[in-house]
Amino acid sequence: MTSFERFQKRLAGEPVDRSPNFDIMMQFAAHYIKKPLRDYYLDYRVLVEANMAMLDAFQLDIVQAISDPYREASDLGLKVVFPEDALPLAAQPLLRAPSDQKKLTIIEPANGRRMNDRLQAIRLFRERVGGEVPIMGWVEGALAEAADLRGVSALMMDLCERPDWITELLEFCCAQAISFARAQVDAGADIIGLGDAVASQVSPDWYRQYALPYEQRIFQAVKDAGGVARLHICGDTTLITHAMADSGADIIDIDWMVDYGRVAAIYGATGPALCGNFDPVKIMLQGSPLEVKDAVTYCLQVGGKKNFSGAGCEIPDGTPHKNLLAQAEALCMRGSH
Amino acid sequence: MSDFVEQLALCVERGKVNKESLYPPDLKGQDGADELAKQALERGLQPDTILKGCILGMDRIGSKFSQNKAFVPELLMAAKAMTAAMDHLKPFFQSGEVKRKGTLIIGTIAGDLHDIGKNLVAMVVEGGGFEVVDLGTDVSTEKFLAAIEAHPGSIVGMSALLTTTMVNMESAIRAIKEKYPDTMVLVGGAPVTQQFADRIGADGYSPDPQGAVAILNKKVA
Repeated sequence: MTSFERFQKRLAGEPVDRSPNFDIMMQFAAHYIKKPLRDYYLDYRVLVEANMAMLDAFQLDIVQAISDPYREASDLGLKVVFPEDALPLAAQPLLRAPSDQKKLTIIEPANGRRMNDRLQAIRLFRERVGGEVPIMGWVEGALAEAADLRGVSALMMDLCERPDWITELLEFCCAQAISFARAQVDAGADIIGLGDAVASQVSPDWYRQYALPYEQRIFQAVKDAGGVARLHICGDTTLITHAMADSGADIIDIDWMVDYGRVAAIYGATGPALCGNFDPVKIMLQGSPLEVKDAVTYCLQVGGKKNFSGAGCEIPDGTPHKNLLAQAEALCMRGSH
Repeated sequence: MSDFVEQLALCVERGKVNKESLYPPDLKGQDGADELAKQALERGLQPDTILKGCILGMDRIGSKFSQNKAFVPELLMAAKAMTAAMDHLKPFFQSGEVKRKGTLIIGTIAGDLHDIGKNLVAMVVEGGGFEVVDLGTDVSTEKFLAAIEAHPGSIVGMSALLTTTMVNMESAIRAIKEKYPDTMVLVGGAPVTQQFADRIGADGYSPDPQGAVAILNKKVA
């Protein structure tokens, strides 16, 4: 069974030889091929090479063009600094005041340097493993994108003090995300992941008001274009579990602090597939291979027939290789159940 | 006086900054923390009653935050309202007429630029009656040491959002303990756990801002 067949069957709740490994790899992958992070963020060839290495070394079942949150924001004008081997930095927000929104115009992804770099990554993935391994593109959710452009703290207070402006900003961010998502599917992405990390920091009511409607529209566009939708919200999403299912996502990532079995029971056999959800730090980075196997196996036991294996969030840089191998081994031993 | 403390606490808890503020909608047009603090001083109330109102309001919103009954926007607005009231106390802090419980030096660890968690802790701790010396983000060990020298007897708080940077806490704590063995160091941040805090020699860990205030209150009791 190829990774692509495994992915499709798992998504449909059909039997597979083993649960697909959908770990999110970024910094770890770059350093695995001994490349500095700057190259990973700015050169699609490095990103592709790093992802290809993950397939062979740790039996991942996905290649992914995810790198950092600033692809869209950079092309919209946010000044992002890329240190040689560290995370990108945005020292000043692009939107210092509501009037700054006039600076924003929708950028055609092919004309944006960093968005186009992701499109090139997807095309290269397509050439290398298209049809054999699922290819995942990525967009920022509207609320997350607004935070990238405005700054998290300022955005959080704007939600209270300037709701009308934020709604206008979210409309813009949603339109940009839809354009970028469609372009990635056109370039060959099978899955579009949507990251909306900041959505776990607001109340369930505000999640429904300020995040969910835009997630729904972006995912509808992904599906209309023929892609599969994956929702990723970092943090404790226990209070928005039900609402997240309304996003239209086919696959929902669940971070480690959420009760995985409870979510699987809520979504049931007809709901979205789950991906998760062991602790990337305590288990994967700091745990032993035995602890990894136990955690992976537990998630398979409680995650239902549509369960994808993955840490709750990105695999940390510096994770012992033996722990990733233990995950792969646990998946093979466990088989489809 | 207790009526005033309660009124101010409500404004802080609800994030009602001033009369012009449209938030929260149900308090639209009413005086906020800014006006209440100003009026209190004009009426001759003791300045420390303003501090009491702020502490009570921040304690309430902090507890709700810990229990997932309030969220980051509400906490930030409460801190903004608290700051509006506390601004009126600046001269009294400077003269020593109003005293704080202690001083917390806070910053994100070297290499880490994610400051939302650190900012939330700083705001709630300030609302808990402590002075906060905020060193900002990407704080080197040398900066922490210099701040301790400038603020003797203070407590240090450091945070990290990233697994790649949290390891830098260990060397910073070692250096602080070497030079100032009696200085208490608290750690926090998304990937940090009690187990990790114990391993690197931290004196305290809290997963949320209110827990940090509880540790500080115990220390100065």
